[in-house]
Order: sequence, then structure tokens, then C-alpha cells
Amino acid sequence: MTPMKKLVFFLAIGAAGLLAIATTHHTASLWDGFVTGSPEIKSISTLSFGPDGILFIGDSKSASIFAIDTKDATRVDKSPAIEIKNIDQKIAALLGTQPQNITILDIAVNPASKNVYCAVHSIDGTPVLLKIAGDKIDAVNLKDIAYSSVALNNAPAEDAKDQRGRPLRISSISDLGFYEGKVMVSGLSNQEFSSTFRIIPFPFGNKQDQSSLEIYHAAHAQYETAAPIRTFTIGELNGKKYLIASYTCTPLVLFPLDELKPGTHVKGRTVGEFGSGNSPLDMITMKKGDDMLLIMSNSSRPVFRVKYKNIESYQGTLTTPVEESFATAGVNFIQMPLTNVLQLDKLDDKQLIVLQRKINGDLDLWTAGDRWL
Amino acid sequence: MVVINTNTIRLCLSNYLIVFFFFLTCCTNQTQTSSAEVTILWKAGHAMAITIPGCYLEKINPDSIDQLVSVRLAYPEETTSILGEITFNTNGIEFIPIIPFTPGLRYEVVVKNDCVAEIEIPEPDPAEGPVLLGVFPSQDTLPLNMLKIYLQFSKPMAEGQSQKYIVMLKNNRDTARAVFLDLQPELWNSDQTMLTLWLDPGRIKRDLQPNKLLGNPLQEGEEYTLLISDQWKDLYGAALQSGYGKHFLVTSRDSLSPVPDSWMLNTPVPGTVNALEVNFKEPLDYSLLNAAFRIRHAKGRSVKGSTRTRDEERIWHFTPAEPWMKGGYVLQIETRLEDLAGNNLNRPFDLDLKSQNANLFSEKIVEIPFIVK
Repeated sequence: MTPMKKLVFFLAIGAAGLLAIATTHHTASLWDGFVTGSPEIKSISTLSFGPDGILFIGDSKSASIFAIDTKDATRVDKSPAIEIKNIDQKIAALLGTQPQNITILDIAVNPASKNVYCAVHSIDGTPVLLKIAGDKIDAVNLKDIAYSSVALNNAPAEDAKDQRGRPLRISSISDLGFYEGKVMVSGLSNQEFSSTFRIIPFPFGNKQDQSSLEIYHAAHAQYETAAPIRTFTIGELNGKKYLIASYTCTPLVLFPLDELKPGTHVKGRTVGEFGSGNSPLDMITMKKGDDMLLIMSNSSRPVFRVKYKNIESYQGTLTTPVEESFATAGVNFIQMPLTNVLQLDKLDDKQLIVLQRKINGDLDLWTAGDRWL
Repeated sequence: MVVINTNTIRLCLSNYLIVFFFFLTCCTNQTQTSSAEVTILWKAGHAMAITIPGCYLEKINPDSIDQLVSVRLAYPEETTSILGEITFNTNGIEFIPIIPFTPGLRYEVVVKNDCVAEIEIPEPDPAEGPVLLGVFPSQDTLPLNMLKIYLQFSKPMAEGQSQKYIVMLKNNRDTARAVFLDLQPELWNSDQTMLTLWLDPGRIKRDLQPNKLLGNPLQEGEEYTLLISDQWKDLYGAALQSGYGKHFLVTSRDSLSPVPDSWMLNTPVPGTVNALEVNFKEPLDYSLLNAAFRIRHAKGRSVKGSTRTRDEERIWHFTPAEPWMKGGYVLQIETRLEDLAGNNLNRPFDLDLKSQNANLFSEKIVEIPFIVK
């Protein structure tokens, strides 16, 4: 071996070693704080996946976020279409009850395995987590698993009790997302109409390095109100990262991510209103060709599809009163021929998974392919 | 505590002879007949599990129990096995479903594909049903921009059901539509005895589309009745003992924040445990009234005691655990305290940015000093 070749060889060995160390370190750090046991999950309000099959569970009752190892990290690039008709009846039969006694609160697709996870609330209050792989529905074991958790920072009087000694305040978790190593959580209180938005570094540390924001939005640049975020996603507009949020009162509001600083009063810019008596339910981002698309399901409107390009081009007119057209105002969007969609998530690059109440009353889980985008 | 309740077993007719044989075998081998029956295990009012005696399980390899024994709903042609866990005990096995068995439903025990027993979960005694203890705000004249209503029940209630059982009737004639925000999960306190109902904030916030197109959920000068159905069940399946109607008249918009400087304090006499009385001269939010106040000695030590509200949430009482001492005290109020229209101590619910009075405060706490003499 020539000296040059020797040098290259040792450099290669060294680089491989460094890579191995880096990889080991990365893998180890992701699981920092995980313990094996049975997490005391009191409710499952929201679900969101992180990397390597880690599922984040928003537990409103215990005001905590749990990260659990689903051990379901085998990567699949494309999912076969999933279709389960009358899913509420099937889940009810599996749980030994009637469909009216259960509510599907959230669904989340594991981006690695493409399996669908489903949070079910039963009338007796027991939280249930199910996994849907193809047409098979099974319970997710929550005993003796690897998990970590973080309690959400309490407000000063969160331990206040009524005259009978019952705790009064809860912070319901309205949405949850994982983005660039951080868990983002929007909250809704049962006492005051305010919005809390927390950004919690993951892995969860002993130190609660989480920030809480006061979020407001202005209607037509005149009335400013606090508003709880119902659902959100993170998107890039004109090269800048934004929190794209929708409120309980429907407006679509943008916040530059770099302005979300702890303890600050942040004012979002309203870019769209989507009609009366409507409340957003779920929001995801999909890509079709060169277009990034915001897909949003609603309580009493069809699914909306908004091109990021349209939101970007709307930037210049955000501070002036919005032009009105029929029952909506703001950025242009398309109403998709999809009504009564209660939940949706990205199944893979070309497919959405949709939980829809059909006109005949059936509740179906099905896959919307590329042509729906 | 687990309570064992022996219930009558009904045998599937098709398998009667087989089961009869099983019974015969069991009974001849058992000294107590009760151990030959399928029994319900109760915990905290829920049918958490059933015990299947060993006589049903003869000639089954314990390693095959999971595959050969199951429980399902006793519906014609129902074949779905209920998800659950099987554990061994001295009499046989316990089947623990993921959620408790539902009162009023019948279940089949299936061994080697044969139904060997049927069991019915008894419904709760209607006389033990929950009671609606209060509807807040208490007063019968309410502002048109009233933001929330609290329902206080005597027992934990079933979640996710409020939209089915609550109706707002206008002038005793028409059902007022889209009054409440449809939230899933609903906003219950942690023991599920108090529900917060938000009136649709999109319709209350001035200048938002829902407000402009549909108007306020409530209209000034009109009379309304909030009706609560007696069909609403608690966590254990018992319905409310009676329905309820709250009648009220709607008055003008309240856009002003409460002003602590205008409150009247009735200070107690030293050496007594008489109540400190704070009169707000207007009703304030029931839940926040029970949470937003603290009393401290002027030197900083917290004063322990109990609180209550009266005069339709216009007056707050604090009774100390120990007699008042001569000297200075401080009443601390969290600024998140709201009136009935969501105006808190720092800012009104919807702030008119063009108004000269658009002053914002950011203090978390305001203080009112008082002297006991």
C-alpha cells in the first residue's frame, strides 16, 4: 500500500468511525429520557408521529405529552390503499360496545410504516389507541413499553379547586405536531378564551425548556382578539417558515416561526376566513408537482385546498380589509368535493387517508389518491 | 376494590346440550356452585372484567387459551372477538376488555368456536342517576355577547354527548341554530363533573364573517331557554334524574373590562373568622371566580381559607381557616378573571384597535390592599 493509499485508507477508516459515532450518538440522543413501564395516560386527545416510530400522544386530562416507542419503524415508501367501511361499527364490535358510545378523536399515519393510528374515546372515559394495518384493526399495547413524557407548564392557579375540592381548570390539547426536533402543542382552556402555544424540545429533558405564547389575531385590522388554535401545520412561504394555524372561529392565520418567542404577545395575520358556523378540524400539507397544498377539513364545510403560492401572493394585502366573496374572504381556495371529513392525514406522497361521514350516515376510512389533490 | 357480582348465565340454545354437559362436569367437581358461573367483576361502578370458571376450559392447553377462548357481543351473526386480556386465577380465567362492558348489553363467552354462556351487564338504578347541580351564569339577564356557560353535575358524565342533549330555544318557539362551538374533545374538568360550553366565538367577534353573516348567537331583547335533556347519561350509564330548563333575557353588549378599583370590600373584624366580602357590582365568570383570587398578609404569607360566590356571581366570600389578625392584607387577583362576555381585567374580549381607549395592560396580578381593624 502506498503512503497515499495508506492515508486515504486511514482517513476512510477514521471517517467511517466518526460517522458511526455520530450515528450512534444521534440514535442514543433521540431516546434520551425514555424509560420502560406503563405510562399513566388518562386521555388521548391528539396524535402525531415523530421519527423512528415515535408516537406523540396529547393527554388533555393529565396535561402531558407522552412519546411512546411503537416499535413500528420499518420503512415503507408507498402504502396500499386502505378502505374500511363502517369503521365505527367495526371498532365498537372490537371494544364490545355500540358505535354511539365511541368517538374517533384523531388519526395519525406513521410516516415510516404507513400504518394508521387511531385515538378512540369511549363513553366511559377509557382512552383507546388502535393501529390499523391494511384492513386489520388491533389495540396498541401501552403496558411495559419504552416511553417518555413531559407535563405542560401549569398556569399559576391551575391547582385551584371549587368549594367541593374539585379541580377546576383543564388545558385541553387541541393539536400537536413534531417539527425539527421540537414538539409543538396548541391548547384550549375551559376557563378563559385564550390561546397557548408551546414549543417543547425533544427528547424531553428534566428541565422544562418549553415556551408559551399569547396569540392574537386581528379581523380586518380593526378588532384584535385572543383565540385558541384548533389545528395547525408548519409550512414554508417565500423561503420563510411559518406556523399556519386555524382557530375555533375559522380564520387562517400566519405566524413567522422565528417570531414565536417565549412569553411574548404574538399577533398573527389573518389571511383567510372560510365561512360561517364552521370550525376547522384538521390541516395537513401535501405536494403535487411543484405545488405545495394546504388541505383542511372543516366541521360544516367541504375540505378546502389552498395553494401555498396563493398564500404567498396574498402577503401584500394582509393588512387591508379583505375582499369578500359570498360567505368567505381572503386567500383563494378550492372547495374539494369532500364533505363531512372528520379527520385526515398524509398516507404517503400521493395519498391521503380520510375519515368521512357519508351521506347515508356510514363512517368510512378510505384513501384519497392523487386525483383528489 | 373489586366486587364480584354473580349474574344469571344464559346458555346459547344451539349449544345447550354441550354446555349442560360442561355444567354437569363442573358442578360435580366444584364444591360451590357459584364458581361454575360466569361472574362480572366490578370496579368503581364499571363492569371491568368477567371470570370464566375452569369447567368451561377443560382440555384446553393454557398456552392456547388466547386462541380458543373469546368474548363477543351477543348480536345475531356477530363474529368479532372483543379486544382484551386474559389472565389466570384460581377459579379459571379473567377476561379484561380494553374498555368496561357496556350496561344493558349482552355478551357471549366463546370456547373453541362454540358459545358456552351468555351474560348481561345490568343497567344502573335510575334513582342513582346524576343531577344537574347548577347552570352558570346564574342570573336571568345576560349580555348578548355572553361567551360561555358552565354546567355543574353531581356525578362524572359521559363525554362527547353534549350536542345531542342541549338545545337553545328562542322565545319558547324556535331552536336557535349553531349557538355553541362543537368541540371534540369537549371541555370537561378533570373529574368530568363540569362542562364548559363556548358560544360560537366566530359569531361574537365583531367583523368576522360568521358575525357579519349570522349575527350574534344571541339577540338583544329576545328571550331564550337552555334545555338540558334527561336522556344525558353519566359515566356508569345512568341518565339524569330530570331534565332542566334555564330561562333568560338577553340585554346589550358588554365590551368593558371589570375594574377592580370600583369593587367594594367589606372587611371583617379581627379575631373572628367572618368572611371577607368583595362586591363586583356585576356578575363575573363562575369558574374563574373560584380560581383567580389569593389573600396574603401584608408581609407576604398566604392566608388559607374557603371561598364561595353568591348573589348570582356578583359577590365573592372568603372565610379564613384561622381568625383574622389586626393589620394589613392584600387581595391578589389574576388578571385573567373575566366577566360574562370574556372581558378580562387587562383587555376586552375584542379590542377595537382604532379606539382611543385601546389601552392594554399586561400585569398578571393586580392587588387591592385592605386593613383588618
